Amino acid sequence: MLRPSGRFSVPASSRPVTLAPPHTPSRSLRDRLTRRPAGAETERAVVVLHDVTKRYPNGKIALRDVDLVVPEGDFVFLVGPSGAGKSTLIKLLIRDEVATHGDVLVDGHDLARLPRRAVPRVRRKIGIVFQDFKLLPTKTVWENVAFALEVTGTPGRLVRPAVDRVLALVGLTAQAQQVPSQLSGGEQQRTAIARALVHDPRLIIADEPTGNLDPLISWEIIQLLLRINELGVTILMATHDADVVTALRKRVVALEEGRVIRDELGAAYHRED
Amino acid sequence: MIAFVVFSLRRAWQGFWRNALMSLAATATMVLMLLLLAGFWILQTGLLASLDFVEQKVEVVAYLQPNATASQVEDLSNRLEARPEVADVVHITRDQALERFRATMEAQGREDLSRFLDANPLYASLEIKLADPAAIDEIQGALQPDEEPIVRNVIDQVALVDRVLTITNILRTAGLVVLLIVGVIALFIVVNTIRLAVLARAEEIEIMRLVGASDAFIRWPFVFEGAMVGLLGAITALLALAAAADPMSRFMADFFRILPLQFGTLARDTALLVLGTGLGLGVLGAWVSVRTYLIR
Repeated sequence: MLRPSGRFSVPASSRPVTLAPPHTPSRSLRDRLTRRPAGAETERAVVVLHDVTKRYPNGKIALRDVDLVVPEGDFVFLVGPSGAGKSTLIKLLIRDEVATHGDVLVDGHDLARLPRRAVPRVRRKIGIVFQDFKLLPTKTVWENVAFALEVTGTPGRLVRPAVDRVLALVGLTAQAQQVPSQLSGGEQQRTAIARALVHDPRLIIADEPTGNLDPLISWEIIQLLLRINELGVTILMATHDADVVTALRKRVVALEEGRVIRDELGAAYHRED
Repeated sequence: MIAFVVFSLRRAWQGFWRNALMSLAATATMVLMLLLLAGFWILQTGLLASLDFVEQKVEVVAYLQPNATASQVEDLSNRLEARPEVADVVHITRDQALERFRATMEAQGREDLSRFLDANPLYASLEIKLADPAAIDEIQGALQPDEEPIVRNVIDQVALVDRVLTITNILRTAGLVVLLIVGVIALFIVVNTIRLAVLARAEEIEIMRLVGASDAFIRWPFVFEGAMVGLLGAITALLALAAAADPMSRFMADFFRILPLQFGTLARDTALLVLGTGLGLGVLGAWVSVRTYLIR
């Protein structure tokens, strides 16, 4: 079994420098008391799906009766064959789609009842990383990361320190002035992760983040996500990468035909009976 | 707020030049459409002025009995002027009629045969200019000799005027319809071109949505960019029109001179039309195009 041991240690350049604590205790405590629904189980949950069904207008049912609670600080692998509903679940979490039935709560916000105007604010609490990176080809690494702050109205004086900080965290300070086409796949994905981190999100959703990368580089990205997780950010990663899932023994949520067929802690990619 | 406007303007400027080819294509389309629109507008204005001119020429001429006294003529003239459909009444005395006849002969280079006459054979007349050419029938009827004894006869122009009025009305309506059609075509083509320019940036818009940009932050840079395309297109079109105006007006100087057409007013109206349409189309096109991405 492949393990993320010393052989795959993180390059020195990408070691964490500092990351401000994502939330001061007093704020998050008050937020939790005022905004979260009562109930011990969901008290500290970043993501809550209750009885969620998603039927698309063409009649296709992508998710059926899904229940899922992701506590703060968790690292969850979302696995399952193509068409199992992973992408739909992610779309529901970023409110690209709205559940046909059931509740979807992200950081205490009921997304179905969220007014359209409030959607951007919730999205800023979620960092999203895609298989195809989704970087702007004409902008440098630095500008790509800064873009996320600029388009959300962050004052100019706050942009530079925040961008420099996350670039240091993902180890791309030296590549800051390069454009994506000059970077390797791993560096491009680290840029995307830096962009996802720059808002200090509570949750990072990674949709097949290693799908376009070779195994060695994949481990580099996984190590980075693990480190971000250690800093207190909840991570939900959809993946087909059996080696990674099995090696890390994290929580595994398996979807098949729109249903959760398995939700195990310390599990492997495939069922081990 | 100021930071937002500065951000949007800066992004609009960057967006315009980053996709220079697309932006220039949109601008060029805008220029062509505005030129087409302005051309039709000028034609339409000229046409309307010509029609007004033709209609102004419609007048009723009533020849007066030689024995009509000055007070009778004055009285008739006053009564006619009191009618709302009458614009102006000019009394041409027999002497004036003769003078005019001589002037016409001289202008045409013909010999003045009137000097062989012992007396003035012409009749005095009232020339009645109409405010509303459609009232010609009524005025003509009111001037028949059995109604007004001092009138000798009235030249019957009703048939001619009817024909002129029919033609001018058709031309007015047709001109307006053509102008509207051209306007709608311009709208569709420009909106579509801007849509393509926005489509080329779909990925950027998607990223903006995913990182939590509010609708305003996504929309306004594109709207400003559309306004830029519109404004640039309008200014280019106006420069082209201004360059063409001088040779055109020299060519058509005689035509314009006889028309009741103010060249300054026409230029101002055309400039306003082109600027307003360009800006409006640019903003509308961008707004509609971005909307597609925001509704979700």
